[in-house]
This record gives sequence, structure tokens and C-alpha cells, in this order.
Amino acid sequence: MTENILEIKNLVKTYPNGTRALKDISFKVKRGEFLVIIGLSGSGKSTLLRCINRLHDPTSGEIIFNGSNIATVEGKLVRQVRKKIAMIFQHFNLIPRHTVMSNVLMGRLGNMGTWASIWGRFSSDDQKMAMKYLELVGIKEKAKMRADNLSGGQQQRVAIARALTQTPEVLLADEPVASLDPATSHTVMDYLKKVNNELGITVIANLHFLSLVREYATRVIALKGGEIVFEGNPSEIDDAWFERIYGAGAREVQIH
Amino acid sequence: MKGHTVKQLIFDGIMGAYLLLVSWFMLFSSSPEAFLNLNQNTQLFVLFFLVSAGLAYFINKKGYKTAGELIFEPAHKKAQQLEAVSKLKTIWFWELGLFLFFTFFVAFEVTHFSFTELLDKDGFDGAIRLFNGLSHPNMDLLPKAVVNIVITIFMAFLSTALAIPIAFVLSFMSAKNIMNSPAAFAVYMLLRTAFNIMRSIEALIWAIIFSVWVGIGPFAGMLALMIHSVASLAKQYSEIIETVSDGPIEGILSTGASRLQMIWYAIVPQVVLPFISFTIYRWDINIRMATIIGLVGGGGIGTMLIQYQGQAMWNEVGTIILVIAFVVWFMDTASAYLREALK
Repeated sequence: MTENILEIKNLVKTYPNGTRALKDISFKVKRGEFLVIIGLSGSGKSTLLRCINRLHDPTSGEIIFNGSNIATVEGKLVRQVRKKIAMIFQHFNLIPRHTVMSNVLMGRLGNMGTWASIWGRFSSDDQKMAMKYLELVGIKEKAKMRADNLSGGQQQRVAIARALTQTPEVLLADEPVASLDPATSHTVMDYLKKVNNELGITVIANLHFLSLVREYATRVIALKGGEIVFEGNPSEIDDAWFERIYGAGAREVQIH
Repeated sequence: MKGHTVKQLIFDGIMGAYLLLVSWFMLFSSSPEAFLNLNQNTQLFVLFFLVSAGLAYFINKKGYKTAGELIFEPAHKKAQQLEAVSKLKTIWFWELGLFLFFTFFVAFEVTHFSFTELLDKDGFDGAIRLFNGLSHPNMDLLPKAVVNIVITIFMAFLSTALAIPIAFVLSFMSAKNIMNSPAAFAVYMLLRTAFNIMRSIEALIWAIIFSVWVGIGPFAGMLALMIHSVASLAKQYSEIIETVSDGPIEGILSTGASRLQMIWYAIVPQVVLPFISFTIYRWDINIRMATIIGLVGGGGIGTMLIQYQGQAMWNEVGTIILVIAFVVWFMDTASAYLREALK
């Protein structure tokens, strides 16, 4: 077990249309930390997360996960990586027509044979595990409801439970509270913190609100135009840094 | 030359060639032999095309807009022109106006449009005799007509049912958002082309082909409808697949699922209702088409209809039409209700 679970080295991502989303990014992620990435829309935050779990293919650079480079692996190995680096999304990305339970069980797809999964034959161990994590995020009683009948905050908690059934080592959260109201945002962030503390899962989250960053992050990285402009403790982000990250004239929005 | 200029010149060239060719026939020669001289007419068309395209290029260069320029000009260029010009003073208005005028003129000419024929006494009497027959259907024929329409309905059912699984599998292979690697894209192009060819050959032609292949009868008609349904359904299905939202796809892929698992869990739930809706509609279309296909030997009610029509037995034809009308109306209404309920 190395101390650094992830090490990003000189990561570059250029989209086919020529947009350079990430320009030579390097940083390390310690096992068990709650790392928050901030920056304006379009600064490359989402691209960065999607490169780490290989939903996007990096153009160049290395991503060292548990000691091996995963930036260039292909096929079955990509799926192995994704199993260990789970992700939740701004728009939850659940399957609306399926039940909450079924959605959570989908976290097990990576561990199942194709035929068993097409007939929906999830093992009783899988079912127990899904129930356990639904309980952890506090919506066990909604298990039989259709996912699209839940509120946004509840859907995000289902998404967290789905991610947990992958038994991941890292949880990526791409603006997990950006489409939620302030009160619900705190609930969801609290569950992420719980996952981080109780299960020891390393969390890397993209966030917009600095007040949330100060409350939950153990470390912060700020991106601007695809480059890292700040790396340090949340308390170090003063007004001067704020202006440097978000541009002159920007004003902080408080969320309580 | 820029892409839009090429498109614009081809458009204006064809417009001009068409207008000039019609004028040529009106002014110089409208004898049947002149129309049949394909060689000379092609040469004329090419000549007129080149003249028009050249003229259009010159006109646009001078700052006046042709119709081709109006259609294909890029949005950013369109946004630059602010002052309004009276339509009557623009080239494109007259170009399109002349096109419409010529097209109606030629259309009336070639269809021999004639009010005297429509209101001719003898012809009118014939029509009255026919309607008289139709409106007094021979009910003795009803049992046979019902048997035949049942055959037609089952023909339509089987052709749709057999087409569903084939179209379902092929539709994923012909959806752009799934076939995104270069090798897969080749399969996509191949399938799309095959579907377009299969659909551009009318079910009627397929029925003729199969009636020679397997003999006249319902089997030939069923096969013809099936081929047509596979192509149509696969195209409609794949277009639905191309509109699914990416969120669930990302969500499932991020769990480490395979491509097949992703399709089954992220895409299928999104498309299943529109698929069913389109399939019911296809069955509905197939019942109507099965009747037409019967006319060329596809069996069922259509074949029966053409037999009695050939002998001018209008009372019997009346019975058959009544049965067809009832079933088509019923299926149409039922499928509309079903599709509404599935929304």
C-alpha cells in the first residue's frame, strides 16, 4: 500500500475539435483524503475526473493508480479501473424507469457475466450488499420505488449507493450538488463525508461553492484554463486567491 | 471554392437548366420525338446547367442574391446584411416564382388536366353505374371476404412479428452513437445503405419478386412485407437510439459494465416504449400495404379484389371495399389509442 493512491503526471487532454481542456496537469492524491477541485465552468474539472476513470481517453501523460499507469490501458482493463474508481454525476445518471434497488444493483455489473446480467440474476450477496448501502445513505425504505419518483437529493444518494456497491477505492463526484437546493446539498455532502470517513474511500469532488469547500475538503486544487493555479488547504483561499481563480470582479456566493 | 458556393452553383445551375429546358420545348419543339431524344436533351441540359451556373456565379459576385445563395449561404454571412430589400427587386424571388409557375404549367400539361373529361356525360354515367354497384354490395360474398381479410391481417401480423427481432438487433448496429469506432462505422454505413436500398424498393416490387420465387399467395406477400418492415423498423429504431440521453450511458459505463451491459441497462429502457409505439404503427401500415400487395399476387383480400374488379363485378367489389374500409378504420383507431396510452 503506497501512501499516494493516485498520481497524475503531465496529463494533457485535447479534444478532437482542438480544444485543449487540460494542459500538463500534475498532482498527487493521498489515500483517504477528501480532495476538492474548484474552478470556473470550462476550466477542465469535469474532463479531469473523466480522464481519471477513463470515460475519456487522455491525450498524453500518466495516471498512476495503486502503482500502475492506467492512462493507456484498454478493453477489459479499463473496466477493471472503472470498478475501482466509481463516479457520481451532476444529473445523477440513474436509469429512471428502474427501481431504486435495481439501480443500486447495477453497481455490480462489472463483476457479473453478461448473460447473468441480461436476465437480471443478481446474487443474494449482491442484493444484501445493495440493501446495506441503501441503508447507509438512509433511503432503504425507498428500495422498491421507481428512481424517477425520487427527489433530486434522494436520487443522488441512490447514485452514491450504486457507486458503493462497486466496492471502489476512489469515488469521483462531478458537481454532485450543482442541481440541488442548499439544504439538500448539505445532506448529500454529509453522506460523501461519511463514505470518506467510515469506509475510508478517497473522494475527489468538483464543487462550485467555496463555503462547501471550506466545510468538507481536506485539500483543494484550483483549475483555470486547464492548468492548476492553486493547491493547498481550503483555509488558504483568501480574497486574493479567489480573484485569481475566478477572475477579477467575481463575488463569492454563500451557501448555508 | 467554398463548400457553400459549390452547393449554391449546383442548385442555381439545376434551376436554370430546368427553366431553360422547359422554355426550349415550349418555344421550339414539343413533338413526342423531341422528348424521346434523350441524347440531345441531356446535352441541352448540361449546356443550360453550365450557362446558368456561370450566370449565377456572376450575379452573386455582383452582390445580388440568387435562390441558391439564399438557401446555402452560411448563417454568419446572413447576419451581416441588415438593410431590407423589396422582394420584387431580388433575383431569388423571380427565380423561385418562375420555377413554381413553370412547374405548375408542365404538371397540368403532362397529366392532361381537363375539366371537359371530368364532366363528360358518358364518363359520368359510367361512374354513376360503378358507384351504384359499390353502394349495393353483394352480401353473399361476405363470408369469403371475411376469410380473406383475416388472411391479410395475419399476413401483416407475421411480417411485423418476424421483422421485430431482426430489426431490433440490426438497429443497434446502425445507430451512430453506438458504432463510433472506425471499424464499427463501416458496419454502420453498410447497414444504413442496405436499409435505404431495401426501403427504396417498394413492397409492391418485393411482392412481385417473391411471387415468382415462392409462388403467388399469402406467403409471397408476407415475405415482401417482412423485408420492407425490417428496413423501415431498423431505421426508425436506430433513429430513436441516436436520440437517447448520454447520462445513463455514462452512469452505467462508470460502474465498469461491458458494452452489451451498457446497451441493455442504459439504452434499452430509454427506447422500449417508442419501439413498441413504432411497431404498432408498422403493423397498422402493414395491414393497409398487405391489401395493396394482394393486387399483384400477394394473396388475401387484395388478390380477391383484383379478381372481381377485373370482371367489373361492382356489387362484389363493393362488399370487399366495405370489409377493407372497416378493418383499416378499426386498426387505425385501435393503434392510435394504443400508442397514445404508451406515451
